[in-house]
Amino acid sequence: MPYIITEIEVTQPLPTLLLSESDTGIALIVRRKDKPIGFLMQALPAKSAIAPEELAQLITKEVGFKLLQESLRDELFPPTNQLPPSLTVAICTKDRTENLARCLKSLLKLQKPNSEGSPRFEILVVDNAPSDEQTKALVTSLQNVYYVQEPKPGLDFARNRALKEARGELLAFLDDDVVVDRNWLDGLMEARTENLDAAAFTGLVLPYELVTEAQILFEQGGGFRRGFDKIRYGQILPGNPLHPCGAGIFGAGCNMAFRREILLKLGGFDEALDTGAPLPGGGDLDIFYRVIRAGYPLVYEPQYLVFHQHRREKEKLRRQYWSWGLGFMAFVVKSYQSDPPQRSQLRRIVLWWFKNQLRQLQERLRGRHPLPVPMLLSELWGGIVGLLGEYPRSLKRIEQIQRQIS
Amino acid sequence: MKAPWKVVHLELSKGIPKLPLEPNYEGLYVVFWWHSIPLGYQEILAAQLPMPATQLATLVLQTITPAVGSHLLAIGFKGDLPVVSVNPSGDMNPDFHDLTALEQPLDSLQKRWSQPAEGSVSVVVCTRNRPEQLARCLRSLQNLSQPPHEILVVDNAPSSDATRQLVAQIPEIKYVLEPRPGLSVARNTGIRHSTGDCIAFTDDDVLVHPDWITRLEQGFQDARVMAVTGLMLPAELETEAQLIFQRGSGGPGWGYRALTFDTQFFEQMKHRGVPVWRIGAGANMAFRRQAFDLVGYFDERLGAGAAGCSEDSELWYRVLAEGWLCRYEPTSVVFHYHRSNLNSLKHQMYQYMRGHVVALLVQFARYKHWGNLRRLFVALPRYYSRWFLFGLFKGFKYFNRTLLAEVLGCFSGVKFYLQSNGKNQ
Repeated sequence: MPYIITEIEVTQPLPTLLLSESDTGIALIVRRKDKPIGFLMQALPAKSAIAPEELAQLITKEVGFKLLQESLRDELFPPTNQLPPSLTVAICTKDRTENLARCLKSLLKLQKPNSEGSPRFEILVVDNAPSDEQTKALVTSLQNVYYVQEPKPGLDFARNRALKEARGELLAFLDDDVVVDRNWLDGLMEARTENLDAAAFTGLVLPYELVTEAQILFEQGGGFRRGFDKIRYGQILPGNPLHPCGAGIFGAGCNMAFRREILLKLGGFDEALDTGAPLPGGGDLDIFYRVIRAGYPLVYEPQYLVFHQHRREKEKLRRQYWSWGLGFMAFVVKSYQSDPPQRSQLRRIVLWWFKNQLRQLQERLRGRHPLPVPMLLSELWGGIVGLLGEYPRSLKRIEQIQRQIS
Repeated sequence: MKAPWKVVHLELSKGIPKLPLEPNYEGLYVVFWWHSIPLGYQEILAAQLPMPATQLATLVLQTITPAVGSHLLAIGFKGDLPVVSVNPSGDMNPDFHDLTALEQPLDSLQKRWSQPAEGSVSVVVCTRNRPEQLARCLRSLQNLSQPPHEILVVDNAPSSDATRQLVAQIPEIKYVLEPRPGLSVARNTGIRHSTGDCIAFTDDDVLVHPDWITRLEQGFQDARVMAVTGLMLPAELETEAQLIFQRGSGGPGWGYRALTFDTQFFEQMKHRGVPVWRIGAGANMAFRRQAFDLVGYFDERLGAGAAGCSEDSELWYRVLAEGWLCRYEPTSVVFHYHRSNLNSLKHQMYQYMRGHVVALLVQFARYKHWGNLRRLFVALPRYYSRWFLFGLFKGFKYFNRTLLAEVLGCFSGVKFYLQSNGKNQ
């Protein structure tokens, strides 16, 4: 079943890759001078071997352009050093101590590259309505990691709690099911240095593992990947008349950062989105949209990289597609109310979204789309439910939560 | 799309600036250069401005990578030839080791192009009653980084003495009078009066880049190359007509990667009419002197003052048909002032199509390549009726404004050919 994920450094001699009996393919994370420049997946027969020459072919075909482009970047734009801003990294978690431990481990390596010196950033764990003390026990055992508890269940309650507690000029959010790359911090800082006027930053998300069919399917469908080019989203996006009403092109909530002061000014996250069941999504779409609508650029930076552990079970993946449809439409309905000047755009994007879903279904029926029909239908159905009053329902639910807890 | 657009030249070796607001323009047509080597262009809408340097940097990298790769690597990044094929460039993956070994690619690019060319080039400028424009063109020719062997101005059937007087003021430029009207006639006269190994042609409505000649000459490295063409950039895009010309079907746009047109290209396209007009523009071309002995001179039935145009492409047709090569060398640059009003643009498109049709008939008559007739009687009618229907249903946009002129030009071309044949017999 699994695809083996291999890191390739192109400035080093290429290895020979061997697949074991159970492997069904390879996924390559290609780096040049440690910078991620490409990702490619290839199905291969079990027990096959890929010689360095074949590997070279594969790499130049997929990332040849990028290789040259990076060489040009080195020549044209030598890196500049600037004093990095202070940073708080917030991880919102709920009852997933093992995941959290893995995430923290990767983060702590960046926080103090060597045992001396002061930490390079602050880590804040927001324990969201936990059902036991495990997370608290883990975090209190670690140095330089702060712990707060947010009793109101819901991811955006937790994120807003982090916003309240954080002290850094920049506030980065991570989900507990990611592991940060060794260049994650440098990537974020580079994006920040290059775009001092930007208010939000998103990064590349690659798979942490590809061991089940669900994970492979998700990644074949494009995954969370948004490419290996830096992108700066401003007020207009040539060729996309619907901008900034986008369905997730800006990045993913599992790896995003903001200028804290601006996030405060915007009023933080919408607590009626990302509430967990029954509306587990849309919060990231909403905040990215609001950042851009407030006139700030949003920057996507591929070196600001995390590895995300995708859902292993097909049923959970299907559920996730459902929640993406749902969350997206809840976001659209909300924005329709809160941002009247954009209404015609929002109507058009709803139309576009349904057309796009149907097109994907059609492609699937012709065998040209990796995702199976139930997943696609799930997302479509989620979208319909989202359009039919899920957001107002969610508003009522969180009112209730707020009343109960306070 | 509305005019005006601002043409901006960005020399990357001087660093990347922030692009400021341009309230008076619809957008920017930005050409990226590295030490006078053009590497690509981008259109940037005014609404995207101001654009910070880092965002421009990303755009620069995405834009120039193909051209740099094409110049530096033997395989990979090659531009597409105008052929109907699954792989129009006939290209393969770049070699991994060549690619990873490229350190400081721009530096090596500059070194490669900074070698002076050897040999002697005669520059021929044909003109007719446009002394102001000619003066501007001649000034740019005096600024060439490597002075050419000679510069000839062929004054074609002038109605006044103005051109002669203008040229007389500039000692290093030779004046030749050709009283018989016609661009082909004038060019042939230019060839006969010149003495260089290569003859480069430009028009009076262009400015040449200082390295224009050097780079054209470098295109002749392969002894089989008989003709070299170069890149024609817009000098300005201030009016709608200029924008239409730049973007429209007749607009120049051959890209920033060198192309070699060879027998294989010719054979691949012979059955449907070889798109020789895609090889370049008459305002920026050169030939080996030997080429005229091998395949003949410009056809005097073609060109401005006769059928209209296509005297350049018809000569390239012969070059290719006889087994020689044409080379498009985009590092050789001229800046063309497109017609600025719509009526003269329409007239120009009429002339273009008229000349094009005559050239197809001339090429067919000479070689009996049926593809020329197929283009004339199948492809062109189909193209224009589709265009017409599209306009009918989708609403006439600006590019349709030259449709009628072009169709009339085609008919007029057939008539012209039949009449000129009649005269010959």
